[in-house]
Parts: sequence; structure tokens; C-alpha cells
Amino acid sequence: MIKFKNVTKVYNKTIKAVNNVSFEVRGGEIVGFTGPNGSGKTTTIKMLTGILPPDSGKIKINGFDIKKNMIQAKSSIGYIADSPDMFLRLKGIEFLNFIADVYKVSDDDRKKRVSELAERFELTDALSSPMMSYSHGMRQKLMVIAALVHNPPVWILDEPMTGLDPKSSYELKEMMREHAKKGNAVFFSTHVLEVAEKLCDKVIIIKKGNLLYDGTLENLESQHLNQTLENIFLEMTEN
Amino acid sequence: MRLYLKFVHILIKSVEFSDDEKKRKKIFNTAMALIVLLGIMLPVSFFVGIVVYAITGGLTQLGGQEEGIALFLHLISAFSFVFGLNVIYNVFYFSADVESILPLPLKPYQIVSAKFTAALISENMMQFMIVLAAMAGYIFAMGLPIWSWLVAVLCMLTLPIIPMVYCGIIALVTMYFTHFIKNKDRVNKLTGVLTLFIILGIVLFCGNMSDFSTDSITQAIASDNSLLNVMNIILPHIRFIVSGVSGDILGIVIYLAINIVAVVVFLLLAELMYFKGVIGISGAGSKKQRSVDFSKTVKGLKTRAVSLSYFKKEILILVRTPAYFMNCVVINLVWPILLYLVYALQGPDNFLGKFFKDLSNGNATAGLIFIFCASGISVLITSANSIASSSITREGSHFAFMKYIPIDFMTQINIKASVAILISGLGMIIYVIIAGILFSLNGMFVLFTCLISLFSVIFASYFGVYMDSINPKLVWDDEVNALRGNYNIFYNMALSILLVAVLCVIAYLLFSFVGVSEIVLEIGLMIALVVFCGISYLLCKTRATKNIYETAA
Repeated sequence: MIKFKNVTKVYNKTIKAVNNVSFEVRGGEIVGFTGPNGSGKTTTIKMLTGILPPDSGKIKINGFDIKKNMIQAKSSIGYIADSPDMFLRLKGIEFLNFIADVYKVSDDDRKKRVSELAERFELTDALSSPMMSYSHGMRQKLMVIAALVHNPPVWILDEPMTGLDPKSSYELKEMMREHAKKGNAVFFSTHVLEVAEKLCDKVIIIKKGNLLYDGTLENLESQHLNQTLENIFLEMTEN
Repeated sequence: MRLYLKFVHILIKSVEFSDDEKKRKKIFNTAMALIVLLGIMLPVSFFVGIVVYAITGGLTQLGGQEEGIALFLHLISAFSFVFGLNVIYNVFYFSADVESILPLPLKPYQIVSAKFTAALISENMMQFMIVLAAMAGYIFAMGLPIWSWLVAVLCMLTLPIIPMVYCGIIALVTMYFTHFIKNKDRVNKLTGVLTLFIILGIVLFCGNMSDFSTDSITQAIASDNSLLNVMNIILPHIRFIVSGVSGDILGIVIYLAINIVAVVVFLLLAELMYFKGVIGISGAGSKKQRSVDFSKTVKGLKTRAVSLSYFKKEILILVRTPAYFMNCVVINLVWPILLYLVYALQGPDNFLGKFFKDLSNGNATAGLIFIFCASGISVLITSANSIASSSITREGSHFAFMKYIPIDFMTQINIKASVAILISGLGMIIYVIIAGILFSLNGMFVLFTCLISLFSVIFASYFGVYMDSINPKLVWDDEVNALRGNYNIFYNMALSILLVAVLCVIAYLLFSFVGVSEIVLEIGLMIALVVFCGISYLLCKTRATKNIYETAA
């Protein structure tokens, strides 16, 4: 579903934000993407979603090359950006309708999905109000609904739990599990190792643009016996 | 003092135009700044200097030599006040940095003084040159000694202080005493309306003159001192700097003393009132959420074509954001009313009246001028309303959205340009038709002028989007900042007008000196505009799409 092969991104011709990184996310997998601040996580996600062009390497989403088949690749992605503050002058329902139009969702599908998602995230009463009046958490919930309204095969989520209340956070995690069970791919960045531990089939750890680990949590723990995930992470990223 | 300077420096840096790392863009920005400086600022300053020189000469004979420069400085101060009011409210109370600054162990006067200085500098850079030019005109007309230039420089640097202090005091007092004003949207709407009224006042003043020559301005000043008398009460310091530049040392001392007292009073008020005014205010999002039956809300979800949906989104944001509505939309509605007011106030026997009479009679030269004016005004209004030239800038922190949605960049550019074409073009065409009816113009002539206007608007819209794509100002914390200090808008306006002006000059030379008929020239203008449209469209297709792709989000 996601193929990220030998990708490099250099800023200002000097700073290697991502250095020849390769990984793959298959259908049915939930993959956690973690690393210290400034390790290249956001740069990687921006390249995956077509926001940033890579300097070298190949990126494929759902079989489509992000450079050559940009529109098809982007249509396959449900992306939640790190900031939910966009188009705040629109009402929640106007924003969702606009996004559904962008992703060409049929009338029936959008009504069904918006109803279902808004109820799961307890946002039904707020949708007819301008997003300007929403709290940060409500905006984040709306972004989650918008990212999922076209039922994309690939979810790419940048710190999706930020600002969500415990119930919404739980709902999102449940939805990630349900989505992966249907054979889709979920790729999300996080700093919360407990979330990665409980949710992910696989973790990818990155530091200073270099891939440190790509594999299952069981495998990682077996390499570092009697250590907590937190200790393993600190040991890997500090040395 | 060091803390104050550091604070001012940080505040100015935080609203500066985004500094792109790419050498190509730096060269572009430098080149554009030079074009604006040499092509607009210097000629405008030179023109101002000449006008003040001529008026001062005329008024000297009538015994009121200081009145021309005084009125000019009052006018400049009025502009500082008009444009400063909105800026001061936003900088003091609604900018995103307020939430970070308030928890710092700083006294209110320290915050307000730094914010005031930063706003003063960034708002008045362009004004400095014009004030100096006006002073130069006065110095030359009066034959004043060389040290008068020092006073002129002092005036240039300090003139905006008192109008901005007035803005600051109004903001402090209203935010302290009233709850109504504690809303960003309301402030933007109110200051926008106030700006319109002040511009209307200037138009009414202009309407009293028989034409726009320096003689009639001189006559207007000499015959009626009431405006100057009122302004002297509101801005008492100006008469002292005017006498100071003529050699009155006491005048300079009093001028400085008035400025110092005004700043001290302002900072004392800030110490007393700022915290109470700023704590607990909300941005624009203080509207209560309406509870609507969810099933009805969901029924509103209907499929639309992607382009139409994107187009609607752009229009809704333009219309619902007061800063955009006042600066980008209202301007299209206001200018013809102002122009008509000038015409109506002057009566049918003056310049505009004579021109339209010639036009109604089918005068070829008047027809040619009308068509060229329609083209020029279309380009001017389309670039001045900045709908196109801030279309990418307005995306701000969510610029990435343009890049991750499955809509190709050229489609998005077409939609953004279409919004500008609709709002600017519709306005222009409606006004051309109204002019046609009012002055009983030939139907074909009106249709042709509408087409010329439309092509001018299309050209300026695509060119505006292209210009904005080169280096969009994506870092801003409120919508006013997206437009304020955005040089793309200014560069686009300068280049678009320059291109159309070159066309008009060539056509006029061909008409006057070579004897080319007006029909040929009008068709020639149409062809040239179609070519311009094609070039700007291609620039968008080949360059702007690449610029968007390469711009970091």
C-alpha cells in the first residue's frame, strides 16, 4: 500500500532531513512512526502526501507513483495534518461537503459516513456552526472526519491524537483497527510510545533522517530483553 | 532600553515578509523592489514635491505660504490615522503573539511601547519618502537654508507618531470600557467603514475644486481655511514643525514637546488600561454554536462539481472574513460611487462633465480615452483588490492543503483566477453599462468596452496569481497581516499597470503623431490584451504550478 524506497530530502543543500530511507506498509497493517523532535518524521509524511517533493527515491501509494500519478495517489490517501486550524470561516458541514466534493464522494456515501463519524466523535450538534467557534479538540475531530469521509485505502495521520479527549482518542484507535482489518493501511506518527505499543503491528524509528528500526514490537523487545519500550527507544535514539 | 529595542526588533522580524532561501527568489524580490522604488515611489514622490512646490509658490503671493505644506502634512497624518487604527487594534489585542507575551513578566507600558514602535515603523516606511518629498518641495519653493533639511528629516521620522498615538488611545479606551468592540471581526468592520467615510470626506473636498490643477488646489486652500483650522485643532503640532522648517527654533521645540507629551500620556493610559482590555478578549470565534437538528444538517450534504465546490469555498472565505471583505470585495463597489460623486459635485461644465459630453457626441478622441481608461481602471482595480495577488498567500499556514488534495495545481489556479475575474470583472462591466446608459453611449461601443475590460481583468487576475506564486507570504497570524506588508500585491500592481500604461502610451502616440485611426487602435488594444491574457495564463501553467510544487509547506 505504501512503498517508500531510497528516499532522500535535503534542505538548503546541506541539511539531510531524510537520508536514503526505505520502508513499506502493507494492507492490513497499522504502522507507528516515531523518533525524537527534528528526526524527519514530518518531512517523511509530507513527502508521502505529495506536499514536499523528494530529492531522490520513489514513493508509491496504493500502487500509484506520487510524482507520476499524483492525482490517483492523493485520491488514495486520507491525511490528517498536524494543525486542524484551516478554513475556520466555513461551517463544519460546509467543510465536510467541500472535502467530499474534492474526493468525489457520492451523495449517499457522504451522508452515511458523515452521520456515522459525527456521531462516533459526538460532533453532531456542532456541524452547523462555523469552525471558528470550535475548540482545538473539536477541530481535530472534524479533521479526522474529513480525512475519512472518502473511505481511503491509506490513512496517513500526523500526530492524530493531539487534542482529542479520551473517548475520541479511543474511537479513533478503534477505527484504525477496523480500517486495517478490512485490508487497508494505517500509518501514523506519534510520540506516545504506549499508543504505538498497544495499537501497532509494526514501528518505524527514525533519527536525524536515518532509519533506526523497521519491524515488529515483539522483535524489538526480543532484541532488548527486560527493558521497557521507553528505555529501548531512549537507548536507540541517544546512541 | 535594551529590552525595548530587542522587543521591537523581534516584533518587526515576526511580521516581515517571508525570507526564502532560494537565491533566484531573492534576486526576484530585489529586482521588484527596485522597480517599485524607481518606477513608482520616486515618480510619486517627485510629483508630490512638484505639487507642493507649485502650491507654495501660489500661496506665497496670497500671503499664506505655510498653508499648502501644512494641509499636505495634515492629509498624510489623516492617512496614518485611517490605516493605523485597524493595525493598532490588531497588533495590540488580536495578534497571535498576545497569548505568548501576556504571561511574560512585563509591564503594560513595556508591551504597548514595543508593539506601538513596531507598528509605527512597519506601517509608515513608504510614507517617509513622500513626506520628505513634500518637505523638499516646500524648502525649494521658499528658498530655505540647508539646515532646514535636518528639520525635514525630523518631520519625516516623527510625523506619524501623533496620529498613531490617537489610534492607540482610541483602542485602549474602547477596549477598556466596552465589551462590544472586543471582537476582531467587529473591529475590522468598523475600521473599514470609518476608512470609507474618511475617503468620502476627501472626495467631497476634491469635489469642491473646479479641476485638479495646482491652481485650483491653491484657490481652494486660500479661499477656505475652515478645514485647515479644524485640522490644526486635531493635530496642533503640524503648524509648529512647518514654522520650524522655516527657521523657528521655538517651533521645533514645541513640536517635539507635543510629541513627547502625547507619547507619555499614551503610555500612562496603556499602564492603566491595557491589561484590563486585553485579558479575556476573544478572536473572531466568540460566536455561540447554534444547535440545529442533525438530520437537517446532513440533508445539506450535496454533490457538486469539484471546481464549483472549490470556487464556492473561496468566495465564502472572501465574503465571511471582514479583513478580506473590506479590502478585496468592497473596493470594487466603492470606487465608481466615489468617481460619480466627484463628477456630480463638479457639475456638467467641468473636466469630467466636458469629457462625457464629448463621449456622448461620439468624439473619437474621447472614445479612445474612455476605452483606454476602462482597460487601465480594470487592471488597477483587479490588482488593487488583491483577490488574485493574495490568493495563495491567503492559504497561510494551511498552504499544504493545496498540495495534498487530488486536484492538480492548474485547476486550483484557474479557480482562484476565476474568483478574481468574477468579482472584479462583474463590477467593471456593470459600471461600464451604467456609464453607457447615463451618457447615452452607442451600444456597440459599450459592448466593445466591456470586452476590453473583461480581457484586462483576465490578464490582471492570472498575472496576479502568478506573481503571488513566486514568493507567497504564508506566515501570518491574522488575515489583516496576510494583506498588510504583502509586497506581492504591490509588485503585481506596479507591473500590471506598467504593462497597460506602455500599451496606452504607444496607442496614444500612434493616434496623435502617426494618425492611426481610433478603430485600428481599439482593435489593436484588444489583440494586445488577448496576447497578455495568453502569456499570463501560460506563466501560470508553466511557472506558477512549478512554484507551488516547490514552495515549502
